[in-house]
Amino acid sequence: MQFCSFSADYVQSLCAGDHQAQEHFVVYFTELLDLKLRSRLQSPQAIEDVRQETFARFFSVLRKDGLRQPERLGAFVNQICNHVLFDHYHAAAASESLDVEGRPEPVAGGADALDIVSARQIKDKVRAILLDLEPRDRSLLKAVFLDERDRDEVCREFGVDRDYLRVLLHRAKQEFKAEYVKRAGNQMRPGTNI
Amino acid sequence: MSVKATIKMLDRIGVEMMNHSEALQQMAAERYLLDELTPDAREAFEEHLFDCPECALDLRAGAAFVEAAKTQLPELTGALVASPSRPHKANREWWLFWLRPAFATPAFASLLLVLGYQNLVTYPRLRAEASQPRLIPWAQLRGDMRGAPVTITADHEHGVALPIDLPSQPSEGAYASYSINLYDPQGKLAFSSIVATPGASDSGPQRLGLVIPGAVLRNGAYTVAVSGVAANGERTEIDRYAFEIHLNSLN
Repeated sequence: MQFCSFSADYVQSLCAGDHQAQEHFVVYFTELLDLKLRSRLQSPQAIEDVRQETFARFFSVLRKDGLRQPERLGAFVNQICNHVLFDHYHAAAASESLDVEGRPEPVAGGADALDIVSARQIKDKVRAILLDLEPRDRSLLKAVFLDERDRDEVCREFGVDRDYLRVLLHRAKQEFKAEYVKRAGNQMRPGTNI
Repeated sequence: MSVKATIKMLDRIGVEMMNHSEALQQMAAERYLLDELTPDAREAFEEHLFDCPECALDLRAGAAFVEAAKTQLPELTGALVASPSRPHKANREWWLFWLRPAFATPAFASLLLVLGYQNLVTYPRLRAEASQPRLIPWAQLRGDMRGAPVTITADHEHGVALPIDLPSQPSEGAYASYSINLYDPQGKLAFSSIVATPGASDSGPQRLGLVIPGAVLRNGAYTVAVSGVAANGERTEIDRYAFEIHLNSLN
């Protein structure tokens, strides 16, 4: 797989309002923003709000001032998200917090047939990887990611160290990555040729 | 304050950047998913990964794996709620069925044979092997990340002993310990251990012997990765040994 950074042509397409470029941009950064925001915000609604505001501000700045360093487009999006988060915390402190658990989650869009098949294949691949692990390693992953127990306590109980846990996750992820890339397709790559 | 001015102001509050090789060496994606990064390190990694398609893919794949695994782990770790028990009468009949002489007699006879063999043959042999000195072939390895793997002929009876050289530290106190990881032909982590760095009085590189018992040896390519572990937990891969095991025909 070739990894390329964002190009000037891509940024120009975004500025021009090219629908394909915009769709790619949103898909590419939605997941990254969700991963970033999940560790900082409690509710799915707050995550959605901050993400949407990030995109809105990005396009506002892009259309008004452009982007001098297209290859730094990703870092620019990250910085904007940091600023939106800053404003969100500030607003939450001043008034009723938007970050409240218990609010209804945004309704997910309907999955098409291809999405369903891909999800099934990814699920099968993950199952195969988990079945290939020792039972102890499966229990270790469950304790960490599902039961969300303290890492040090889990490592003590299973007689392993943090390195072991990291390498276990690393190996499983590496084995999963090929299938993930196959199913996720072009969304993985920045749009250099849009 | 305009958006642009805000961005310029906040940009001056610098976050120390993490470069790509640092992200790989420190297993930043795994640490991120395990929530092990300090706030500064997390921001540095995010600053990097938003511009790095390779790290972005790595993190996304890892996150997708974790999310999918969470839905399946309860079943695969046997954590399902137990199904309702059968009626008492049916349970009692189940036990009585298997206690009938036609089934019980040969079953107990087989059990006695197995127990006898274990106690008279297997356990004495294992005790003898564990308590007596024995000779194990000492294989030569080259620590070379680019060279072709070394071929080692071994057998299930003796296993193989591998010399692992721990190099001198690049600077005093650079590493608190070393991590030794052995990966089997399927790429799975087969063995992992942490060893303390040599004391100040020890001079030069330290050599350890990694013994792989014959019973677990398989044909194929193995890898041993040696990493230095700093006091803050950061790992830096120092050396890598690649070798092929060919089991001889005695097995």
